[in-house]
Amino acid sequence: MKKIPILRLGRILLVSIQEDLTDNEAMQFQSDLVNKVAEIEALGVAVDITALDVVDSYMARVINDTASMVRLLGAEVVICGIQPYVAMTLIEMGRDLIGADCAFNLDQGLEMLRERIAHRGDIRFTGDGDE
Amino acid sequence: MPRIGIRDPTRMPMTVSLSQHLQTHRDEILAEWFAKWLPADNSGQPGWASPAQTRHIMQTLFDQILSALTTAPPDQLPDLDEQAPLCVHLRHLAAEQARNPEQATDPLRLLFSLRQLLLRHVTAWDRKSETLSMAEPMLRLDRYFDRIALFAFNSILSLRDRHISEQNLSLMELSTPVLRLWHQILLLPLVGIIDTGRARQIADHLLEAIARHEARVTVIDLTGVPIIDTSVAQHIMKTIDAARLLGSRVVLTGISPEGAQTLTKLGIRFGDVICRASLRAGIAEALMITGKRITAMEDPAHP
Repeated sequence: MKKIPILRLGRILLVSIQEDLTDNEAMQFQSDLVNKVAEIEALGVAVDITALDVVDSYMARVINDTASMVRLLGAEVVICGIQPYVAMTLIEMGRDLIGADCAFNLDQGLEMLRERIAHRGDIRFTGDGDE
Repeated sequence: MPRIGIRDPTRMPMTVSLSQHLQTHRDEILAEWFAKWLPADNSGQPGWASPAQTRHIMQTLFDQILSALTTAPPDQLPDLDEQAPLCVHLRHLAAEQARNPEQATDPLRLLFSLRQLLLRHVTAWDRKSETLSMAEPMLRLDRYFDRIALFAFNSILSLRDRHISEQNLSLMELSTPVLRLWHQILLLPLVGIIDTGRARQIADHLLEAIARHEARVTVIDLTGVPIIDTSVAQHIMKTIDAARLLGSRVVLTGISPEGAQTLTKLGIRFGDVICRASLRAGIAEALMITGKRITAMEDPAHP
């Protein structure tokens, strides 16, 4: 079973999904990520799907659900690098398939996360960003 | 007049009724009962009062049962009404033992041991008397004891129920404090299982406190909520919506990874509610919303 590496940049987590996941792998990925977020009290998560050429409704739901879970745990989420034709299919399948915020690429995604995090109370007013 | 005596007036020994027989052998039976119930080393039953007190309780119980049997008409079972001394005594006994879960059934065991003893006595008496069957008085005794035991059992149960509901009440009171954290900031730490009754009470408490303190932010901490399911989530959601209507923002903190997964899989969306990983982050967020900050002292007394 493939395991998706979760990279840590300070209190931001970085995940890149490179290929199609089976149902079990998707569930594994979801719980791994959620547990990691809780463990380090991550402030942001960037999910990069540049390498995905096909995103079916199941995968879209997994990504969306993961984003909701992560947000419940108090971290910001950005989905990066959705391919143009993937975006078209997703819109055709349903409007709200991806509810999280999206960015053009990983670079802009991280930029967006940092900006959001900088506006949060826990960083600005307790000064414990990267302890 | 006992029925056996009427049926067969020539046999004088048989004119004694069951209760009379028991009355004559009272001391003997009591001694046997004591020996059975109280340990030989005079240490008393665990959880019970001193042996002397226990003896007194048992003796009273025996006398009351006997007097009820004597006064009742022979073809009827003695009444077990609430005010009868026997019932009062049993209820008192149940109350004594109900505090301790291991001894809650002791009054029943006590009764059953007496019944066994009495039935054995009656059987022995039957054999000696070589007369008509004693089945009827025995049955009567047996049924009477069933009713007493049922009464005792009900007393124990209702006492238990009362204990439980009292504890529920005090738990509710204890576990839903709304704390004023800072000016215009309220903290609601939730602990334990949230059911519909509690959820409504929590919402009432919170809304009332928001209105009283004119709180702009309310931090709801879920660290102490072990299970978050649909109903809990809906209750929390309703509370949040109501708080929002009053003009207070809500920050949710302390959702566990499992809780987050369950909530999402159940399809519950918390929308634009602010969620934070820890109470600390939540408080910082609340401070930010109200334009305050926690900062190091500029000129610390002890650098």
